[in-house]
Amino acid sequence: MSVASAEKTDLTLGFIALTDCAPLAVAREQGFFDQAGLNVSLVKEASWGNIRDKVSYGLLDGAQMLAPMPLAATLGLGTRAVAMVTGLVLSYNGLAVTLSRTLFDQLDLDPGKVQTPDQIGQLLRRYCQHNHKHGGAKPRLATVYPYSCHFYQLHQWLLAQQIVPGEDIELVALPPTRMLSTLKAGEIDGYCVGEPWNSLAEQQQLGRIIVSGHQIAPNAIEKVFGVTQQWASEHPVTHQRLLSALSQACQWLDNPDNQPELQQLLLHPDYLGPQAPAKNLQPHQPVLHKFWHQQNVPHPASAIELLEQMRARGQWQGVNLSEVAEAVYRPELTPR
Amino acid sequence: MQTTSLNVLLVDDQPERMQTLHDALHASGHTVVSQLTGVHGLSEHVQQCKPDIVIIDMDSPDRDTLESMAAMSRDAPRPIVFFAEQEQDAITIGEAIRAGVSTYIADGLQPDRVRPIIETAIAHFHHYQQLRSELDATRDQLASRKVTEKAKGLLMKHHKCSEEQAFKTLRKLAMDRGQKLTDVASEVIRMFEANAHRGDDRR
Repeated sequence: MSVASAEKTDLTLGFIALTDCAPLAVAREQGFFDQAGLNVSLVKEASWGNIRDKVSYGLLDGAQMLAPMPLAATLGLGTRAVAMVTGLVLSYNGLAVTLSRTLFDQLDLDPGKVQTPDQIGQLLRRYCQHNHKHGGAKPRLATVYPYSCHFYQLHQWLLAQQIVPGEDIELVALPPTRMLSTLKAGEIDGYCVGEPWNSLAEQQQLGRIIVSGHQIAPNAIEKVFGVTQQWASEHPVTHQRLLSALSQACQWLDNPDNQPELQQLLLHPDYLGPQAPAKNLQPHQPVLHKFWHQQNVPHPASAIELLEQMRARGQWQGVNLSEVAEAVYRPELTPR
Repeated sequence: MQTTSLNVLLVDDQPERMQTLHDALHASGHTVVSQLTGVHGLSEHVQQCKPDIVIIDMDSPDRDTLESMAAMSRDAPRPIVFFAEQEQDAITIGEAIRAGVSTYIADGLQPDRVRPIIETAIAHFHHYQQLRSELDATRDQLASRKVTEKAKGLLMKHHKCSEEQAFKTLRKLAMDRGQKLTDVASEVIRMFEANAHRGDDRR
C-alpha cells in the first residue's frame, strides 16, 4: 500500500452525457473517489471539442475521452498538439448504427425472418444502387466526431458492405442531442452514435438499430480516461488514486446485480436525466457494451489499430505508429 | 478599411451577447452573420456563407460539427481549421477557452488578421460572464433575505416575540453553530413546517 500523499485532492473531471459516462458517475456516487481521499467534481460538457481543449489548457484535470482522442490530441490533429496519456479503459463497444423507420421500411426486408446485420447491409447497398440509377438523393447518415470509434466503425461496416461513404451515402456531422429530432424531421436517414441515442430511436419508434459496434469490432475500446502527459507527471499519486477509483467503478458496473441502481443513477439530471432510455426496452438489435474486460488495460496494440483507422480515413499520414501508441496508451499505469 | 474586412459567423445561444458582439464586429468593418445555437443545419450554414472565421459559444454542442467539418474539409468548399495551430496563439486560445468561446478559421488565413476579432469576442464573453455572476450574486442575496424574513416571521408568530428578538435568536443560533444566517433560517423554517405537518397528522 502506498502511503504517499496525493499532490492534489480537489479535482474536476469532464464527461459527455452518454450511457458510458457510467464509470465516472459510479465512482462519485458509490463513494470510490471519496474512499481514495479525492474530492471530485464532475462537469457535463457540451462537446468533445470542449473536453479536449479544457483538458489541454488545464481547466479540467482529466476526462472521459473517446478512445482516439488522446492520440489525436498528441498528434495535433485538428488542434494544437498537446501530449496526452491514458492509463485506463472506461468502456468497450456501446455504439450502433440506426436507420430511420422510413428508410428501414424501404429495404424490402422479409418481415418473417430475423435479419443479420450483413443481410441488412446488402439490402442497404441494393437500395443505394437502385437509388443512384434513378437519380434519387443519397441516404444521409450522421456521425458526431471525426476522431472517434463511431466514425471509424461506421466506415468499416459500410465499406465491408461495399457501400462507399461519400459516393453511395452522404455523411454529415451532428451533435448527439440533435440526432433524434433531425431523424424525425426526415433530414437524415440514420446515424452512428453511442448509447442511449440508438435505443431511444427504437423507444420512440423513429428508427431501427441495424448493427451494434460489438458486431463490427468486438471488444473495441470505446472510452478511456485521459489526462495530459504533463498533468500525469506532476500528479503521479493523485493519478494512481483516480485510476484505482475508476477501476473499482468499472468492476462495480460489471456486476449485473447493480444494473437497476445504475439505471436509477443515470436518470439523475446530473447525468443523462430524461434521456436515459426506458428500463424494459428490448431493441431489435441489442447494443452490447462492457465496462470491465481484462482489467481495462489500454494496450498500445489497440492504439495502433486506431492510428491505422486515422490513416485509412486520411486524417493522419504518419508512420511511427508504435512510437505514438506506446507514448499515449500506458499499460504500466493501470491499477492491478 | 475594406482590405481587413472579414466574413464572420457567430454561433451563440445568448441573444443579447450575440447582438452586442455582432454590433461591435460590424462597427470594425466586418461582415457578420449571427446564428442562434439550437438551429439545425450548421454545416449547411457554413457552406453557404463561407465564413473566414466562425466564433462559437462553447456551451453549444455544435462545436463538434465544426470539428467534423474541419476534419472532413477536403470535401468542403472552404476548409476551416481550429485556430491555435501555432504556439504563439496558445495564450489567446487559453484565454478564449476560459471565457467560453472557441474559434475556427478558414485554412490559410493569416492569424494576425484574426486575432483582433478573437480578442473582441473574448472581451464580450468575459463581460457577459461578469454580468452573469453579479446577477447570480444579487439573486442569492435576495433569496437569502427572503428566507431570513420568513424565519423571523415564524419565530415572531410562534414565540410571540418582537422582530428584533427573532433576529437576535437567529443570529445567536448562527454564531453558536458557526453556520451562515441563511442556513440557520432555512433550518428554522424546516423545523416549523415539520411541526405543522405533525399537527396536521394528529388532527
